[in-house]
Amino acid sequence: MLNEDKIKLMTSISMFEKKEEKYIYPVRRYFKSDYISRHMLKAFFGYTFCCLLVFLLIFLYHAEDIFSMLNLDLLLEHAWTYGIAYLVGLAVYLLITIVVYAKRYEYGVRGMKVYVAKLKRLEKRYEFQNRTRELSREVRKP
Amino acid sequence: MIAILVFKEKLKRFYSKYDMFVIPVIRFLLSFLAFYMISSNLGFMSRLNNMAILLILALLCSFLPYGVAALLSGIMILLHISSVSLELAVILLVCLMVVTVLYYGFQPGDSYLLLLTPIFYHFKIPYAIPLLVGLSKSPVSAVPVGCGTFLFYILQYVKQNAGVLTNDASLDITQKYVQIMKSMMTNRLMAVMIAASAVGILVVYLIRRLSVDYAWIIAIVAGTVAQLAVIFVGDFTFDVSVSMGQLLGGALISMVIAGVYTFFIFSVDYSRTEYTQFEDDDYYYYVKAVPKMAVSAPDVKVQKINSTRVRRNPKEER
Repeated sequence: MLNEDKIKLMTSISMFEKKEEKYIYPVRRYFKSDYISRHMLKAFFGYTFCCLLVFLLIFLYHAEDIFSMLNLDLLLEHAWTYGIAYLVGLAVYLLITIVVYAKRYEYGVRGMKVYVAKLKRLEKRYEFQNRTRELSREVRKP
Repeated sequence: MIAILVFKEKLKRFYSKYDMFVIPVIRFLLSFLAFYMISSNLGFMSRLNNMAILLILALLCSFLPYGVAALLSGIMILLHISSVSLELAVILLVCLMVVTVLYYGFQPGDSYLLLLTPIFYHFKIPYAIPLLVGLSKSPVSAVPVGCGTFLFYILQYVKQNAGVLTNDASLDITQKYVQIMKSMMTNRLMAVMIAASAVGILVVYLIRRLSVDYAWIIAIVAGTVAQLAVIFVGDFTFDVSVSMGQLLGGALISMVIAGVYTFFIFSVDYSRTEYTQFEDDDYYYYVKAVPKMAVSAPDVKVQKINSTRVRRNPKEER
């Protein structure tokens, strides 16, 4: 026979799982430090790649001036400026990454607690059902 | 008012009943509109202008996330532009890649804003998008809106200068590249519009979260005023020219659109606001509860007493 309470509970668990999966999943798999480090590494490579592309565009924009002058000191000065800009930008971007993913992990942890609580409720429901069945069997036995 | 609320309820009921079909249809329409606009405004690659191709692509996008539509739109734009100017296509590719890697790594769900923003610009109502984004999302969404604005002005630049970019044989590749970069960096109108969008989103977001009556309506008005203020400042400072009629007309229509959105998403009855306060071990709570405006859609049933019409005998009438 269908148990309406159990079906409702299982549906709500399934919906919760579907909605919060992307936040809960990393909490199950990684420690907080590993999770953030992983994304920091990704952010580092992504930012460096984008910087290289942008610097290439800037270099092409100034290419004519650079090749016409060929002043090594000036080139070094510009390289320093762009290097510092890259490092400052990288630091800011990594900081944003840390804040965003730390918050996401915390959110995932809270979601995980709710998920576990729901599962426990379902487990209790099963236990209750099993006990009721056993008791009814015992009553039937003469 | 009651009639509109009933209509809203009916719409909600219809959406919850047929969301399986409504969502793909909306996706299809948005994707098709984006592809059609790209083809009609750029259309430099004749093979891509085929209506069948656009329909097939839109149909494909109706079953896939908005990110795919944004990706396909980006590819279409790049292909069209590359047939006019390879230099500009490369610049645009780099810009899109930077946005994709740096922003969409964090917030992949926002990609439809990249499509919607140029569409709203095309229909001369760019002030609506910051209002809608401020009401529904966070200030971070200013990034895709800004990118959408950038994309619109790039497309406009290509449209206006297609002849020069294609036929000017006197310029070599580097000169063309420098010219394009200069025109992009000195496009003050674009910078002013991006700033106006960002300020609009921030103002709307901050005000709609306030615990005051009619916060959403105040946010819409304040957001529109803030956008207009930034444009006026830009007009005086950077000498950008914006048509006054278009500006005010666009702002007015944008406010109406945001008002309609507010009605459907956040309709509350401030006259029945209730205040309560209580405490637990750690805090005192001062709660303001504003009830939602809701009416139940009338379930009209037509009871037919006579199922078939009885025709009178004309002879009897005589």
